[in-house]
Amino acid sequence: MSPWLALAARSAWNRRLTLGLTLAAVSLSVALLLGVERLRHDARESFALSVSGTDLVVGARTSPVQLMLYAVFRIGEATNNIRWNAYRAIAADPAIAWTIPISLGDSHRGYPVLGTTPDYFAHFRYGNARPLAFSAGRRFDGVFDAVLGADVADKLGYRIGDRIVLSHGIGGVGLPEHADKPFSVVGILARTGTPVDRTVHVSLEAITAIHLDWQGGAPVPGFSIPAQYVRKFDLAPKEITAALIGLKSRAAVFRVQRAVNDYAGEPLLAVLPGVALDQLWDVVGIAEKTLLAVSAMVVAVGLTGLVAVVLAGLNERRRELAILRSVGARPRGIFLLLSIEGLCVTALGSVLGVVLLDALTLLARPFAQSAYGLAIRPQLVSLRELRLLAAVIAVGLLASLVPGYRAYRLSLADGLSPRL
Amino acid sequence: MRTTSLALSLAALLLLQGSGAGFAAENGGYRVGDRLQSRAARKDAKAHYQEIGWNALIPEGWDPAAAFRNIDFSRLSDADPRASNALDALRKAWDEAPVEPGWNGQRVRLPGFVVPLERRGEQVTEFLLVPYFGACIHVPPPPANQIIDVFPAKPVKNLRTMDAVWVVGVLETLRSQPKTDSDHRMGMGTAGYRMKAERIEPYKER
Amino acid sequence: MSAAALVRIEGMRFSWPSGDAPCLDIARFEIGAGERVFLHGPSGSGKSTLLGLLGGVLAPERGSIRFLGEELTRLRPAARDRFRADHVGIIFQQFNLIPYLSALDNVLLPSRFSARRARLASASGGSCVNEAARLLDHLDLDEALRRRPAVHLSVGQQQRVAAARALIGRPEFVIADEPTSALDAGRQAGFLDLLLKECGAAGTALLFVSHDLRLARAFDRAIPLASLNRADARQEAA
Repeated sequence: MSPWLALAARSAWNRRLTLGLTLAAVSLSVALLLGVERLRHDARESFALSVSGTDLVVGARTSPVQLMLYAVFRIGEATNNIRWNAYRAIAADPAIAWTIPISLGDSHRGYPVLGTTPDYFAHFRYGNARPLAFSAGRRFDGVFDAVLGADVADKLGYRIGDRIVLSHGIGGVGLPEHADKPFSVVGILARTGTPVDRTVHVSLEAITAIHLDWQGGAPVPGFSIPAQYVRKFDLAPKEITAALIGLKSRAAVFRVQRAVNDYAGEPLLAVLPGVALDQLWDVVGIAEKTLLAVSAMVVAVGLTGLVAVVLAGLNERRRELAILRSVGARPRGIFLLLSIEGLCVTALGSVLGVVLLDALTLLARPFAQSAYGLAIRPQLVSLRELRLLAAVIAVGLLASLVPGYRAYRLSLADGLSPRL
Repeated sequence: MRTTSLALSLAALLLLQGSGAGFAAENGGYRVGDRLQSRAARKDAKAHYQEIGWNALIPEGWDPAAAFRNIDFSRLSDADPRASNALDALRKAWDEAPVEPGWNGQRVRLPGFVVPLERRGEQVTEFLLVPYFGACIHVPPPPANQIIDVFPAKPVKNLRTMDAVWVVGVLETLRSQPKTDSDHRMGMGTAGYRMKAERIEPYKER
Repeated sequence: MSAAALVRIEGMRFSWPSGDAPCLDIARFEIGAGERVFLHGPSGSGKSTLLGLLGGVLAPERGSIRFLGEELTRLRPAARDRFRADHVGIIFQQFNLIPYLSALDNVLLPSRFSARRARLASASGGSCVNEAARLLDHLDLDEALRRRPAVHLSVGQQQRVAAARALIGRPEFVIADEPTSALDAGRQAGFLDLLLKECGAAGTALLFVSHDLRLARAFDRAIPLASLNRADARQEAA
């Protein structure tokens, strides 16, 4: 065995250009495969981290998945709002311990704006029942106070005291702005690794205030209410987008859910976050499986290329095999020589694929966090990923047996005098 | 190349088998309202737990259908408000269904369906156990003494909504503060069962 | 027919699976220990087949090949490979070297596949590497060239390295298949001299196959293959 390893290494080094290209192909495909798997896993982790300790999420009647997406993950737009009275009626249920009303629809330079009450900072939990913490400042008090998530402050370079202007609607550019009612940054939240980081938090009254002169969804020309007069109006919210609810006893969740769903005054939907997440994964699961299958195919393509390259070079090496046989090598050794090459390229390609993936993750990390609230990080290979890598290497080994076997047969046929 | 394609199929199989399988098979073929079999109230001396059915959790003397007992349906006309009133009364009774305090501290084993509550990553750290399939989606929720708030000792992987499982653990009966509401029906408050689960296994027909 | 014959072929017949007539049919052929034999034969006369048979990669359909008292035809292929590794050195006409190994590593190859030759090489030179260097010295290969990949050497240099490789670890028998045919005329004699000298020094028997009769003078014995190979004669007659 020992002369073969050294021979295989030297031989591979000799053909390092072509083998290097197939190595690159295998690395890229492994990086893709592992990347898809990691993204899937990290997305689930991120999503599951985003809500903790919330028993029910209530919103206008829509699909549970959609409600979770806009209310909790701040992705997409709300289908409808719910009236304040309906919310108060629901919140009066004696089984409820706390409620957090939230109002969505505005944005600031691409980041969603959330209108809520101070209860948000008291009751909202994420991850493993962790409460929100401030890295600077305090929660909002005045009507035009804003509390920024960690990413918003980081990416846009805001500090306490800065002025910001909110835009109406969600989207990047070209949105009408509430320019006459700027907000003042009074607090910045510590990083959570959830969509909270990319949210701008203001009070419910603030949302009402900036839309006071926007009856009908757009500023009315010639009619405006200056910022200093807003307090003269009743700023109590008329509608909210959704509410997070915590119960005194978790076993009561079904009853309260049914009470909300049956509420006669307004079409409402109450979902259990845990169950809605499962439904989300069902929907996403098909795409995930497809992606995974495609990645597996790409790996297969890479390995097939490797086999093709080694096979193609086999003809030129018949002389070399005859020389080896002349010094006493057995056909089995020839088989080993060729198989080891393929196996080594696969193994090395897998390792490089992991390295490549980590490098790409580092590069993509800030973008994923700020654009999607998705926390990805370079990490040591997990158990599940090890299984994937083992499968790749196993397939590579099997594939390498093909040129190995061909070389074996050639060597037997050629003996010491290959007919070239 | 036959080897190669065989190997590729193997690889595809390996990759996909881990990604989709839930704790139990896809819904296990259960339909809404299905219940799981267990041997009722049997003491398993070796295992130091008692295998029970859901009925065991209902205290003696509590009649889930009490609201309906006094109604002779044959004598009601269509859409009679007494029928829906009785249904409402039934639901309220169920919501305040009492627990059997005798179960406090008992180690039991029983089967049920999972409703995940808390997750850490892809693992479930807290879930509700209900007696029948679809308990939170299509049918009215079970009475309060037929829901268990389960805390697994170790977070459970691959547990999805409506998975059928056996749980083994120590039961705890809870009674929350009685309401000061003057309304007479709030006598009990929201009580319920809790369990620290030592073992959670997929449910299999025996 | 000396009892101390190194190699003895008797009544051996070999045909290729595709051919109907036998390719080789040798009644008797012997090589003594340390003997230098020149075998004369044109290309295609079956000398590659003879090479394969003597090297143990081919097995005759009939007859015996005795080598150092060992009956090769009774050995299994793996054992024949081992035998070849231990006792035989082979020099081809060209492309003798593994291109991505250095000259030194090429010479060392047999010692990697045969423990016996590794042992003898170390015994002779102190270590395998030293012995390889010594042989290359004798065969007049510049020291500077030894560690470079073999592909950088000229044909003449490659053949000399091949000779060193065939001789390392004192095999009893060296088979050279037209080793000078690829060299230009001026160098042929020089190579032959070196080879014969080394074989003589080590007491190695040499079977030198070539179509070039001019080289036959230096050998103990010169035999035309045609006279050995009855199959050839029959074919010509037919």
